[in-house]
Amino acid sequence: MTLQTSAIEPSVPRAIIGVVVDNALVLALVTVFAIFSFATPTFLTIANLQSILVNNFTLLAIAAIAMTFAVSVGGIDLSVGTAIDFASFAFVSLVLAGQPVVVAALAGLGAGAAVGAFNAVLISGIGISPFLATLGTLFIGRSIQQLLTNGGNPVYLPPSGVPEAFRFLGRGAIGGIPVPLIIAAIIIVAATVILTRARFGRVALAIGIQPSVVRYSGIAARAHVAVAFILAGLIAAVAGLILSATVTVYIPSSGSAFLLNAIGATFIGTTLSRLGRPNIPGTVLGVLLLGIVANGLLLTGLNFYWQQVGTGLLIFAVLALSFITRRKA
Amino acid sequence: MSVDIQLAPVIHFEPGVSTPKPSRSGNLAAGALRAGSLVAFVAILLVFSLTAPYFLSVGNIGNVLGQSAISGVLAIGLTIVLIAGGSNVVTGGIDLSLAANMGLSAAVYATAAQLGYGDATAVAAALLTGLLIGAVNAIAVVGAGIVPLLATLAVMNIVAGLELVLTQNTVIPASTPLLTALSSSGPLSIPALAYVLLVFTLIAAAIVQYTPAGLRLYAVGEFPDAARAAGLPVRRLVAGAFIASGLCGGFAGILSVSNLSGSTTGSGEMLLPVVVTALLGSVFSRRLVPTVIGTLLSTLFVGFLVNGFQLLNISSVLVSGVQGLLILLVVSATTLLRRQEA
Repeated sequence: MTLQTSAIEPSVPRAIIGVVVDNALVLALVTVFAIFSFATPTFLTIANLQSILVNNFTLLAIAAIAMTFAVSVGGIDLSVGTAIDFASFAFVSLVLAGQPVVVAALAGLGAGAAVGAFNAVLISGIGISPFLATLGTLFIGRSIQQLLTNGGNPVYLPPSGVPEAFRFLGRGAIGGIPVPLIIAAIIIVAATVILTRARFGRVALAIGIQPSVVRYSGIAARAHVAVAFILAGLIAAVAGLILSATVTVYIPSSGSAFLLNAIGATFIGTTLSRLGRPNIPGTVLGVLLLGIVANGLLLTGLNFYWQQVGTGLLIFAVLALSFITRRKA
Repeated sequence: MSVDIQLAPVIHFEPGVSTPKPSRSGNLAAGALRAGSLVAFVAILLVFSLTAPYFLSVGNIGNVLGQSAISGVLAIGLTIVLIAGGSNVVTGGIDLSLAANMGLSAAVYATAAQLGYGDATAVAAALLTGLLIGAVNAIAVVGAGIVPLLATLAVMNIVAGLELVLTQNTVIPASTPLLTALSSSGPLSIPALAYVLLVFTLIAAAIVQYTPAGLRLYAVGEFPDAARAAGLPVRRLVAGAFIASGLCGGFAGILSVSNLSGSTTGSGEMLLPVVVTALLGSVFSRRLVPTVIGTLLSTLFVGFLVNGFQLLNISSVLVSGVQGLLILLVVSATTLLRRQEA
């Protein structure tokens, strides 16, 4: 019930269990990586590893980092997909209307931040629990998108009308490294710095652990919660921009595809970390785990439908093992 | 039972902790707000019945009941988990595998029926499927100690995958005597599914609300430490709640086969609406806790809303938006009410 794993007396078997518990996620990742390297000839190739990063990692990593900010203040954000969709809609529509890509991108970020701000009002202003507040936002967002698109029609960019900067964001590369990956890396580093080195991050994590202490210390907890949710919307918006730049189309409510995986990755990262707190490296490793499992199962040539079962089983096994060892420790 | 981490809820909004405010006309306002949800329900019924003449006819009410049967059964299953797991949705009770469970159970029933097995076997197979899924959840949560949100999320993926494997993502048509009976009309030419929902609710309510085991579920959910100190088998009760919820999923699966004359894909779409309905249910109870009858009321509330929109020719696009607004309105009212009581 309490954070006692780190205070264990160093008897030998316990020490080993301790090491396993402390690095459960890394060990799980290494194990899964090794299994697929042996099981399939194509997994351990540079082309495939790159494909994991581009196809299975980038967007989910950004969405999961958005989720991590919400989780860090003790909440959850079920509307990350909504922020992704709103950003994507604003971006694609404005580009279609002939606006400069930079303006459209800023509007997209604004739209995502607006979703976050709406959540912030509900959570910090009225005091609704984050789960219910963002669930409400998710439902309202779904309706708004259908209203905006005449009942859910995708907004296509004609192939001729795609500006170069737009294409660059989704499919460009700098020095051989894909642009989306660079953006994801920047967000990972920035989020890590914010959460571990900045005052905001320390307060946010403290709110997640013990909100009353934060309040009695005279810190404006509500304001910090509000900022965390706005940040979550803003970061999710970046995923929305990259998504629409990659596929050059906006499909209503397509962002919700990321929701459950983002929750999974964030909570895997949180629960399997040493202190059991939300943290960006943990979230990133969680996303990598999900990505490697998805890619590896694809390469095994398993029936497509069995792949989903396999993914579920693998994640379930990882969770069960780590929770059981943690309890033993 | 719970994990080492305490991913704390945003506690500073919770009753006991929030700064006490002088409650002047406390009881009156509290009563008004409590009645508020019911008043809203009645008001919506009134508006629809005045604007759409057919709305309050027996036939239409029966239709709404029938159409709400599947989501009602699922929401009641989730309610049982909410009761036993406590109200914190992140660390407490939640069963995300319910909708997928319904899909797989429906597929199992339809496949069994197509293979020529009788109704009894097919029903048993579907219920057993639900039961097994519930048991896996129970083992994961109680045995391995995984947080319910994560455990049922993983199980949801496995179950949804198994459904795809079984159906190959196609519709499996089925027609059996039971299905014909379920999709026919009963007395007063009200759909049989409506009666099924009412009987199911009565049985569930009787068990959860009026038996010692049900009372213990509440104790376990609201005050786990006190329940443990009092010697209640906390783990067994929580496990039982997940198994019961799994059974509800299996039962809803059978109902959904009758409704659609086969098993269809896309059951996962039901998940969030069901979560909303179950969470909304607690505002229809006197003490603002999840109850079976409260969940039935909230299911019907949503059902009447959708139905009224259809009768008034309001675009169905708005339904999810109105549902979202409703959650927010209802929950803000509850939150403000609780803050006042504290």
